[in-house]
Amino acid sequence: MESLKLLWMSTGLANFELGQVIMMLVGCGLLYLAIARNFEPLLLVPMGFGAILTNIPVAGFSEVGGLLHYIYYAGIDTGIFPLLIFMGVGAMTDFGALIANPKTLLLGAAAQFGIFATLFGAIALNAIPGFEFSLKDASAIAIIGGADGPTAIFLASKLAPELLGAIAVAAYSYMALVPIIQPPIMRALTTEDERKIEMAQLRPVTRVEKIIFPLAVLLMTIFFLPAATPLVGMFCLGNLMRECGVVDRLSATAQNELINIVTIFLGLGVGSKLSADKFLNVETLGILALGAVAFSIGTASGVLMAKLMNRLSKEKINPLIGAAGVSAVPMAARVANKVGLEANPHNFLLMHAMGPNVAGVLGSAVAAGILLALVG
Amino acid sequence: MENLQELFIEAGTLMLAGMVFVFAFLGLLIVFINVVLVRLAKKYPDAIVESRATNKRNNKKQEGNAGVSPAVVAAISSAVTQYRQQHSTKK
Repeated sequence: MESLKLLWMSTGLANFELGQVIMMLVGCGLLYLAIARNFEPLLLVPMGFGAILTNIPVAGFSEVGGLLHYIYYAGIDTGIFPLLIFMGVGAMTDFGALIANPKTLLLGAAAQFGIFATLFGAIALNAIPGFEFSLKDASAIAIIGGADGPTAIFLASKLAPELLGAIAVAAYSYMALVPIIQPPIMRALTTEDERKIEMAQLRPVTRVEKIIFPLAVLLMTIFFLPAATPLVGMFCLGNLMRECGVVDRLSATAQNELINIVTIFLGLGVGSKLSADKFLNVETLGILALGAVAFSIGTASGVLMAKLMNRLSKEKINPLIGAAGVSAVPMAARVANKVGLEANPHNFLLMHAMGPNVAGVLGSAVAAGILLALVG
Repeated sequence: MENLQELFIEAGTLMLAGMVFVFAFLGLLIVFINVVLVRLAKKYPDAIVESRATNKRNNKKQEGNAGVSPAVVAAISSAVTQYRQQHSTKK
């Protein structure tokens, strides 16, 4: 009888707590979004599964000695995984469109207003009872507006590790929702005529320019914002490997095998932070709401900046590409292209939108560096 | 409440400093592209890309002249001689 009781006590059924069941359902929800809806599946599948594993009673995946515990501390707590992902993103990024039309850097800069406005919003939430965001917490939440998963995870792991799960879920969910969130804002802020604007063809960019560019970005970061060098440095390394043309094998590894391997572990590590005590609270709701606000403000400020530039400059740019200033590469650029095609079926904005799009990646990395330097 | 006010002021300062810095940084990058990279592009106008393309073209031509054609020529000529030999023996 004693042994039977012992056996029962070692089953999952006897040890389940309500919070764990709910979090497993959240994990299943993430798996559903990834598999059935194709929302950022590369990250949401390991993340959703990680959420299920970490909430298994008795198994202790996230306790000392558990697999997910070590994955988290080896890769996310140290910042290694998001940085390796950033190197892969750098190896996938073509700065050609940006170098050909450097003005679009201003659009990428304007879209970062989403980050800083949300910082304000997160602090404002403190007025509601139940919310207690410190400046560090608010900064980590605000970076969701950068629409850049690895940057958000990197900053959250440094500034507010206890909020990392909610921040990562919010960041990746909204990145997947870019095609739904952005178009209404873009249409509301532009006229039909503005959406029809056709842009001049981009000049060809030489190989020398593409090689010098990442080195120059790194040099500027070293001079002006060393706090951002982990992110920018890895990004530039990946990009240089791509453009220099002598290490094609390394470049191919960084943008395929390595980034895939790291994505599995990053997803599992983030999933391990989706435990009931850290996720099931009112703060998570606040983070999800603020994330949506951050994205919307970022999109709006990119579009408005493009309109302002049109007022001041003779060379017209289509304001839709301003929305691509929130990184989310290449989804945001595709959305700009799609909305542009609706207004003018002969207007292909994709290449033009890639400029602000990659500028947004640089902008959000710089913004993360500023937050790290001033708040961290 | 006073604490909240302080946080607001800090967040506001951060917002201002952050946006100014982001614009300054990326603005400087615009200047760099317009001043340095554009000049570099003019100084080395597609030098590498063009030379690579011409090299490729040359390679193809060379392959066409020196690599493939001689082999084909050799094959044809040997076939012709073989045919002639066979033809002559039959006669």
